[in-house]
Amino acid sequence: MNSFHFAWRSLFRQPVRAALAIAGVAAIGALLFDMLLLSQGMLISFRDLLDDGGFDIRILATPSTPISGPRMADAAATAAAVEALPEVDAVVPMRIGQARIVGPDSVNLSLIGAVTSRRDAWTVVEGVDLDDLIGNDDPPMVINRNIAEELTLAPGGTVTIRSECTERYSVLPTVDFVVSGIAEFPFDPVTQMTAAVAMPDFDRACGSVMDEADVFLVATRAGEYPEMAVAAIQRLRPDLHAYSNDQLVDRFQQVGFSYFRQISTVLATITLFFAFLLISVLLTVSVNQRFAEIAALRALGFSRRRIAGDLLWESILMVGTGGLLALPLGLVLAIWLDRILKAMPGIPSDLHFFVLYPAAVILHVALLAAAGALAAAYPVFLASKLPMASTLRNEVVG
Amino acid sequence: MRRRFALLLTTVIALGTASLAGLQPAPAPPSGDVADILVSRQLLESQDLAVGDLIELAADPDGARARAFRVVGSYEPLPDPARFTQQRLEVRLHLQDMVDMLADPTDPQSSESVSAINVALHDPEGELEFRRSVFGRVPGLSVWSTVRGDSANPFVVLEQFHLAIAIVTILASTAFLLALMVMRSDERRETAGILRLIGLRKGRVLTQVLIEGVIIAMVGAMFGIGLALVAQDGFNQFFQWRYDTALVFVRVSPKVAAQCVALAVPLGVVASVVASWTLLRREVLALLRR
Amino acid sequence: MSAAVIEATGLTKTFPMPAGPVTALRNVSFSVSPDEYVAVSGPSGCGKSTLLHLLGSVDTATSGTLLFDGRDISTLPDAERSRIRLTQIGFVFQRFYLLPMLTAWENVELPQGEAGVSKPERRARTAELLDYVGLSQRAQHRPSQLSGGEMQRVAIARALANSPRLLLADEPTGELDQSTGEQIAELLDRVHADGNAIVVVTHDPAIAARAKRQLKMRDGEIVAGAPA
Repeated sequence: MNSFHFAWRSLFRQPVRAALAIAGVAAIGALLFDMLLLSQGMLISFRDLLDDGGFDIRILATPSTPISGPRMADAAATAAAVEALPEVDAVVPMRIGQARIVGPDSVNLSLIGAVTSRRDAWTVVEGVDLDDLIGNDDPPMVINRNIAEELTLAPGGTVTIRSECTERYSVLPTVDFVVSGIAEFPFDPVTQMTAAVAMPDFDRACGSVMDEADVFLVATRAGEYPEMAVAAIQRLRPDLHAYSNDQLVDRFQQVGFSYFRQISTVLATITLFFAFLLISVLLTVSVNQRFAEIAALRALGFSRRRIAGDLLWESILMVGTGGLLALPLGLVLAIWLDRILKAMPGIPSDLHFFVLYPAAVILHVALLAAAGALAAAYPVFLASKLPMASTLRNEVVG
Repeated sequence: MRRRFALLLTTVIALGTASLAGLQPAPAPPSGDVADILVSRQLLESQDLAVGDLIELAADPDGARARAFRVVGSYEPLPDPARFTQQRLEVRLHLQDMVDMLADPTDPQSSESVSAINVALHDPEGELEFRRSVFGRVPGLSVWSTVRGDSANPFVVLEQFHLAIAIVTILASTAFLLALMVMRSDERRETAGILRLIGLRKGRVLTQVLIEGVIIAMVGAMFGIGLALVAQDGFNQFFQWRYDTALVFVRVSPKVAAQCVALAVPLGVVASVVASWTLLRREVLALLRR
Repeated sequence: MSAAVIEATGLTKTFPMPAGPVTALRNVSFSVSPDEYVAVSGPSGCGKSTLLHLLGSVDTATSGTLLFDGRDISTLPDAERSRIRLTQIGFVFQRFYLLPMLTAWENVELPQGEAGVSKPERRARTAELLDYVGLSQRAQHRPSQLSGGEMQRVAIARALANSPRLLLADEPTGELDQSTGEQIAELLDRVHADGNAIVVVTHDPAIAARAKRQLKMRDGEIVAGAPA
């Protein structure tokens, strides 16, 4: 009977105890696994959101996020100059402002103005896109599902908006739009109201032609590295700030929701320590109860190494079985926790806090294995250093 | 001392809130034209400012129409869990100073304008009625509630998140506790057998176990609260240093301590009794048999 | 007499105690030849078990030498002494110390597996030993399903598993009633008759009387039956 088999029999000699210990490891392991998913989840999800948009680079006026910083002037000329770069395939200047749909049940919305000739930063899911609406006097607008549901709007309906997109203090006149389609906007929070219009119509709603942009969305040519395109843009316009998706993810890592990454590290550390402590206590108590048995095995000729191997395997079995169960348990728990955290205001509905990635599974296994091995260290030491004669003597006397 | 520099401010607070482009160098203003300003602690420290310093503030990115202000003090920005990762580079100034600075010379109404008017209702429930009433009187105005529902409140969301983690931790602890108690009971199988053999009733033995369980759970809970009290300082100091904020991240309140005891004691007692009951159900001789 | 299986010379064992060192064995010398059956008896605390532990290299002497097959085992590293215990010495304990999660068969097979005996050989040997102790029908029973006497018989089978040259038994009937104790004593007689050297520690005069040679101990010294 090898160490593994022996440890298996040893562990399950008390099935209730073993099941409880494994259940404990599974619950703690699930929490650890989730903290690992949380530590990188948002970054992976944010990266996916950026990539899914079809644009590799964002150009901003300052290092601050769009809207909070100043806008870029001469948008049309800048877009043309950037698009002329050999690394660049398409540039979409974009304005982001606030507006209200006028009426007794008025709705605040984010109004996006974009040059739509090349490609869009949204996906039309019902109706048609801005450029495809034919034969209507009013300018077209795509709205997100939230506005459609809130105001019971469908393609073909009309809305009257009053924009708040300038620093002018006079109230701007209202503008009528016809809804051409319903679209999904990748960074929309769950309750966000968003609408998009063509740039000339945005200027019209804002009362003047400003030729400004909050952000340029840039798509690189196939086969080109975004970082090379970023460098080319920076050479062309050193006054602007261009970021590849990787660079944006890096910035996000430094500022955006870093609390959750920090808390995940802290909780993962506490969880690991907790797991270590509990497994160590269980194994130590178990060894204490088996002192006489271990001494007898040593007297029968079992080496210290063999005894240590048995205990180590027992720990590995306990932690391994619990750790394996922790994976599906952790995934279920992650769905629950993700749902809770996504209720935070301003979180894009497609951004997830918990994302499964292969390295998390590997790290989970490695950390639990390390915790199991460390937890077994003290009981292994106790067992291998056990004085046979006095233990046997005490057991008989006791 | 006169300071001239440019930087981006995250927000400017002047009874209302507005965004400013930055602080820009500008010619020295005539004396007597210097308004007072408060700067956030973070701004004071990051720009090495001191009370009494003169600074120039401009709404325009190119520094046009900058105005001079005298730093008369600093303040700790109200900790905001939704913004604590941001560097709080902020100033507070009198509303009129801000309106003067932001006023557009080409727009005569701008010096009479504010971004928003905060309204406190006598009856917060009457928000919808108020909105309709204002819209009927002044159709151009936008009215919206600043009251956030619980579901969108970051504090509530964080509390729910931590509560969920606490539930999982309690489940794991319960499993481990039960496992330990089962082992402990097994260790004391013989003692239980002897006590039963000399005539003690099951209930008497169980009471003894119950008392032990209460003591262990109480001591454990107290130790846990003590550990949390020690850890909270380290945790808060680290995060306050990391994010340069006065936000308190962990606080072991009496309510939390009471919840901890209220959970731990019954849990410990139940675990002791359940584990012991599995022993006491057996026949006396079965307990004593090796 | 053939060469001694084990030969102790001047064995002394002192235990450090808070109240001062306690000497459990004082200058004990004796030897056991391959066909001998030796009983060590004496009052509680006289050093019988300590002597047995030293002979089985479960413990080390404070002074003196212990030769096993002419080799000084007191100075060997732990791994080598473990190997000798596994293959050359069989142990029978008062409290049996069968592993509760293993069946009788598995308990007997366990030391053989550890010694590297092949599976077919283990099977044959285990079956032979269980038959030898009269428990073939109880092979798949766990210790909790066996009586005290049956457990001790399994323990003797386990001690004989690797065909040791020396069988050490520490109060083998101490936990058993008189009738069962006698059955175990008879089994030990049979083991000896089959050519095994046995040293049994007991305070049961009836068991001691079965041995060919009886040593009496008092205060850590052999007071009667010491070797010439």
